[in-house]
Amino acid sequence: MFHLFASHSLEFLSFGLHSKMKTQRLCLLLGLLFLLPILGSASAVSKDLLGIAPGDEKHYQSEFIKCKDGSKGFTRAQINDDFCDCPDGTDEPGTSACPGGKFYCRNAGHTPLSLFSSRVNDGICDCCDGSDEYDGKVKCLNTCWESGKVAREKLNKKIATYREGVTIRKKEVEQAKQAIVKDEAELSRLKSEEKILKGLVQQLKAQKEQIEKLEEQERLEKEKEQKRKKEAEQKVNEERQAIETSHDDKTGVLEDPPVDEHTKEDKDETVAASNASHEPGSGASPHQGVKQENEVSDNTEGLSREELGRLVASRWTGKNTKSQTNEDDVPKGEDHEINEEIPVNTHDEDHDHYASENDVDSQNFDDDNIEDGNSDEEPEEEYNDDSTTSYNSDSEDQADFSDITTSSSSWLDKIQETVRDILQKVNLFQTPVEKSEAARIRKEYDDSNKKLSKILSTISSLTEKLKHDFGPDKEFYSFYDRCFENRQNKYVYKVCPFKKALQVEGHSTTHLGRWEKFEDSYRVMVFSNGDRCWNGPDRSLKVKLRCGLNNELADVDEPSRCEYMAILSTPAVCLEEKLKELQYKLDLMNREQPQSRDEL
Amino acid sequence: MATAMAKTTTTTMRASSLLLVIVLLLVLQLNSVLSWKKDEFRNCNQTPFCKRARSRKPGSCSLVATDVAIDDGDLIAKLVSKEADKGHGEGEEQQQEEEKEPVKPLIFKLSVFQNGILRVKIDEDPSLDPPKKRFEVPEVVLPEFENKKLWLQRVSTEVINGDSGPSSIVYLSDDHDAVLRHDPFEVYVRRKGGDRVVSMNSHGLFDFEQLRKKKEGEDWEERFRSHTDTRPYGPQSISFDVSFYGAGFVYGIPEHATSLALKPTRGPGIDHSEPYRLFNLDVFEYLHDSPFGLYGSIPFMISHGKAHGTSGFFWLNAAEMQIDVMGSGWDAESGISLPSSQSRIDTFWMSEAGIVDAFFFVGPGPKDVMKQYAIVTGTSALPQQFATAYHQCRWNYRDEEDVAHVDSKFDEHDIPYDVLWLDIEHTDGKKYFTWDRVLFPNPEEMQNKLAAKGRRMVTIVDPHIKRDESFHLHKEATKKGYYVKDATGNDFDGWCWPGSSSYPDTLNPEIRSWWAEKFSFQNYVGSTPSLYIWNDMNEPSVFNGPEVTMPRDAVHYGGVEHRELHNAYGYYFHMASADGLLKRGDGKDRPFVLSRAFFPGSQRYGAIWTGDNSADWDHLRVSVPMILTLGLTGISFSGADVGGFFGNLEPELLVRWYQLGAFYPFFRGHAHHDTKRREPWLFGERNTELIREAIHVRYMFLPYFYTLFREANTSGVPVMRPLWMEFPSDEATFSNDEAFMVGNSIFVQGIYTEHARHASVYLPAGQSWYDLRTGVAYKGGVTHKLEVSEESIPAFQKAGTIVPRKDRFRRSSTQMVKDPYTLVIALNSSKAAEGELYIDDGKSFEFEKGDYIHRRFLFSDGKLVSSNASPPASSNTPFSSDCFIERIVLLGLSLGAKSAIIEPANHRVDIELGPLNLRRGQMPSFPTIRKPNVRIADDWTIKIL
Repeated sequence: MFHLFASHSLEFLSFGLHSKMKTQRLCLLLGLLFLLPILGSASAVSKDLLGIAPGDEKHYQSEFIKCKDGSKGFTRAQINDDFCDCPDGTDEPGTSACPGGKFYCRNAGHTPLSLFSSRVNDGICDCCDGSDEYDGKVKCLNTCWESGKVAREKLNKKIATYREGVTIRKKEVEQAKQAIVKDEAELSRLKSEEKILKGLVQQLKAQKEQIEKLEEQERLEKEKEQKRKKEAEQKVNEERQAIETSHDDKTGVLEDPPVDEHTKEDKDETVAASNASHEPGSGASPHQGVKQENEVSDNTEGLSREELGRLVASRWTGKNTKSQTNEDDVPKGEDHEINEEIPVNTHDEDHDHYASENDVDSQNFDDDNIEDGNSDEEPEEEYNDDSTTSYNSDSEDQADFSDITTSSSSWLDKIQETVRDILQKVNLFQTPVEKSEAARIRKEYDDSNKKLSKILSTISSLTEKLKHDFGPDKEFYSFYDRCFENRQNKYVYKVCPFKKALQVEGHSTTHLGRWEKFEDSYRVMVFSNGDRCWNGPDRSLKVKLRCGLNNELADVDEPSRCEYMAILSTPAVCLEEKLKELQYKLDLMNREQPQSRDEL
Repeated sequence: MATAMAKTTTTTMRASSLLLVIVLLLVLQLNSVLSWKKDEFRNCNQTPFCKRARSRKPGSCSLVATDVAIDDGDLIAKLVSKEADKGHGEGEEQQQEEEKEPVKPLIFKLSVFQNGILRVKIDEDPSLDPPKKRFEVPEVVLPEFENKKLWLQRVSTEVINGDSGPSSIVYLSDDHDAVLRHDPFEVYVRRKGGDRVVSMNSHGLFDFEQLRKKKEGEDWEERFRSHTDTRPYGPQSISFDVSFYGAGFVYGIPEHATSLALKPTRGPGIDHSEPYRLFNLDVFEYLHDSPFGLYGSIPFMISHGKAHGTSGFFWLNAAEMQIDVMGSGWDAESGISLPSSQSRIDTFWMSEAGIVDAFFFVGPGPKDVMKQYAIVTGTSALPQQFATAYHQCRWNYRDEEDVAHVDSKFDEHDIPYDVLWLDIEHTDGKKYFTWDRVLFPNPEEMQNKLAAKGRRMVTIVDPHIKRDESFHLHKEATKKGYYVKDATGNDFDGWCWPGSSSYPDTLNPEIRSWWAEKFSFQNYVGSTPSLYIWNDMNEPSVFNGPEVTMPRDAVHYGGVEHRELHNAYGYYFHMASADGLLKRGDGKDRPFVLSRAFFPGSQRYGAIWTGDNSADWDHLRVSVPMILTLGLTGISFSGADVGGFFGNLEPELLVRWYQLGAFYPFFRGHAHHDTKRREPWLFGERNTELIREAIHVRYMFLPYFYTLFREANTSGVPVMRPLWMEFPSDEATFSNDEAFMVGNSIFVQGIYTEHARHASVYLPAGQSWYDLRTGVAYKGGVTHKLEVSEESIPAFQKAGTIVPRKDRFRRSSTQMVKDPYTLVIALNSSKAAEGELYIDDGKSFEFEKGDYIHRRFLFSDGKLVSSNASPPASSNTPFSSDCFIERIVLLGLSLGAKSAIIEPANHRVDIELGPLNLRRGQMPSFPTIRKPNVRIADDWTIKIL
């Protein structure tokens, strides 16, 4: 029966080829010569060797054959005799007798397939050459020719993409390496500047403190005089004194901590505040269906029929009990919508929180924002300042950052000079302190301190950036300052590698996760610890990376509750090895074709 | 949790808002009690009829039987109150102010049926013009049951042992009499020797609140939480005691998540307990150990003891019921003396409404009681072959892409499955019989793709109909007046998934028939012949109703109050849906409808599952007694959600659940939509392998399971059985509900703890047992401390049995139809074994005409004989199969023989050593007959040489 079917199908094949493929005859013949040794065994694909992969045929040469797992052996006659002798299926590659076995179909013209032996003669055509169904239950047409063509075309396209992608990737890797070198140089330069500046600030501080001490003495003396003069007004004086002391305290505080610590603390507080407000917020708000439901569940008496119905339903669904009031059918994304609504209140807060986090980030990296950020605090002082210096630090918006980070240290020299000048000029032991000198020192101190804090924050952000794992070839370096967006119905998904991922719907933003890591050898980006889901996990997002010519976010999906998936096509993962692999696969497919024709 | 809380607390304090902390703590605490809402359900004390009944004292019944006579083949009598004659008696103090109307006599009717079945009916006398006819549950008792009635000809009168008055005695069976004692009134069954079997009212707790006119100023309303029950007919409850003699334990009366052997709920030394409640309820996150009522109710109790065997008592009543199991000594002070030589379990039955329609089953064996109950309520429908295989479900497979993906993953991992399920989200706005056309634009194509691989699909159809003017079903039901009415006569409007909903009144046969039409291919747009149905929420679940269900004063067809019918509502709905599929297939395709609510008789309409369980070890453990109890009460085709519905679980628990679930009669994986996805391949390679193996085990045993389903279909004996059903005299098994038997051949015990290294397994006495995986033999009657591996749970084949298997695995059971069989013969000490195999076309009703193959295999004296076990087929196209046997494994045979001869062909075959299971890795080997290739349909003998 096996023999019959096999030869029949070969005839069928040869007939078709005769009429259609005359032109290719010559090369086919050449191919035939080349492939003769393989064909020798291929023609023996009959009952004996049915389902055996070509590379495996030598295992079945001898009269007594071992099971591959070494458990036992079997005779040649037991190959494919429809009785399972080897638990691993060695003896039944062409039947379904062994549950653990594999069936190989050649699929000439397409890709060979290794099937579970459970597919053999199960009435379903699995191999495009139909070789898995030979017991006559069904007739499978050989479709390898057509489907192979489609597959080859697809593969060709993929290879083309990879080829181009590999080039782009190389370029980006190169750029990234340079950029990182630059960043590192910058960082070390900034660090040395920081050192110098710190020294200066310290000196200025000492000066300033001296001056203040003297001023204080002066003031005290004055006071004493006044006391003597106007004893009656003593109380008033005391009050004033108190005010002034407190003022002093305040300045003291401002001076002390280095600014970067300050920022950090701010950040912590923001996080803490948002965390803290998160849960009680959602619990206390009347719109928070689920948690509110818990509170109310013990007292449902006051509810209307409809409220009660919604409330009980929400146990299973976790949906907001009020949200459906005006909603008729929400056929799609109903879950999302309602779930998203649960933390509505916290959303805004979260949003703010992220925004402020943004500010922190951008303060660190964005020239514009540095000034933006500062300008909030500065304007008043600016106007009071001597215009030239202020111009220096302010008007060079674009230049300023490069000022700090890249270009020569002209500003630093200037400050150094100024300080030296001050130190020489100011006579600290002269009482009364000269007003203009004191003001100048104060101003210099403030300016330098500001500069220092800028530098410190730049240092910390650069360090933060460079801490990240940009991939074995730093191919993900350029992702650092980027976000990728995708719109799906009413949602906009925003993925910012190394930072965060968001789902935005109108004004409400849901945090899908903070950057965690790469996974699966840099094929997947993981964002975790996003906003909490009711009765579910914290939201998280996995972004699968695919080779593509542009960075494009696609196919955002929520396969499991609050666990999102997306695909990002990017040249960053167009690897050369993979390209080679694909090319090899195509070669194989192309090679298979003539081979099948040779069989005539 | 605690640390997280502490941390949050500190940060919040830093933010210096004490108020916030308080709110936070409050929320956290509330969050942790998010589970069973005990307060939302009534306990006995909040349920006036239960409270009243429970406070009654033994002996307070004053009824006596008078006018005893034979009429129309029945024994009839009047039950009249002694007080009516004597005036006020004692024990009436509690109803002080009540001006006693004369108590009307009750009509008593006792009928006897073949196979030792006694039926007792007690109702008000219709000739005395009661305010309303009390509800008798229709269409539960099989119509053909009446044909089995034995027409009583004569009654004898006796004064039994020291009774003061006479008793009337009628024939029940050759071994049993039915006895009606006149004064005080008592009914019981006794053996010919005089020992009692089951009795009613032996403790004089019988009480029947007759309907009456409301007196002025009387308040009949009942309030619970924000709900008011108008109770227009006032109190109408019934209660009585039932005693089981010679009983060690009582079982049955599902559905409760509790032990198999029912623990006492009242009596000395017993902690305060609620009675077992029978009231169909949708209980959110139910507890794993509670007498609390769940989704279905079957008021059928079975008792079993070593000396006197098994008996049963069934009360056909659909109102809320509460049942107490009394601890011994509860009646010490009652002054009532029952035959003291017999050990006894007393029970107390209370129902809010209805009549007494009670059945006594005399046994004497456990399977006899199963059969007797099945004679009254029917046997399990024979499921289609596919339905006995593995089902994959989730709330929800979201769209066609998701469906295709899940389907292809099963193939990718070589895991067979037969059915993919769609929960409520597949519909357009929870309007059943519709599709969300965005998510499921081409439902037919989707089903056809599955069908091409031999797979089926199941969609959900619940009883709540969305009150949406644009929904044709709602419009039609409204117009025709097909909805259940509320107490004011309007269409009842309750809240469920779609929001405001109404419920078809499926008590009405006309409405059932209308409903059934909705399943036609024409009406159910997007359905195909490979689509089957799932009925959920049919308790009915009403989110804003009292106890999450319909108000008791809602009104059904014929003026029946919902309180009278409640427990059967889901049953009629299930019936209508199954009839729909039957009609759809022109009566040729066996329906498959899974239902959550159930009632006696549900076995005739489809499968039952144990509802919304939780993903924890306790729920895994309790699934066994729950399914066993369902089996004992007639529902053979049942299972629990594999993996547990609520919550996420460790892979180890999931694997254990699959290993156990593979032996549930109904085997389905399911999960709540908030859980992480848990399809079998999502937990790493090793766990995938373990789950695949567990599912393979089920597919391997499908021929055996199908044979058992047929047995259940003919005899009423369940597929999954408590050990004592197979070993009725092995007392060590009576309260064992960790282990169970699948049929009479396979013993299974789950692993219910994490990281288990060992398991104590009691193997029943009388036979030895062969490990299903290794073939190693173990002695019976001994508790073995077995090592446990992650690969399987303890499972054994009983010596003396032959189990048919199919060892080739396919995508689905559909592709296995033509695959060859393997027989595993486990020899007993006399080197003998027997087994059976039933095969039919797996889908149609042709088997009812005799179109099937039923073989009996008998091994003895070194010979295996296959003989026909079926009567000659009445059909002219008898079912045939070309399937052959490829392998016969002999456990317990010492190897010597090298070959065997097959008669009548005189064909010689080899015997060699082979593994018990075809799987990778070294396994001990056993004598195996290689390729006998005898046809399964033929008579043949294989002689070992």
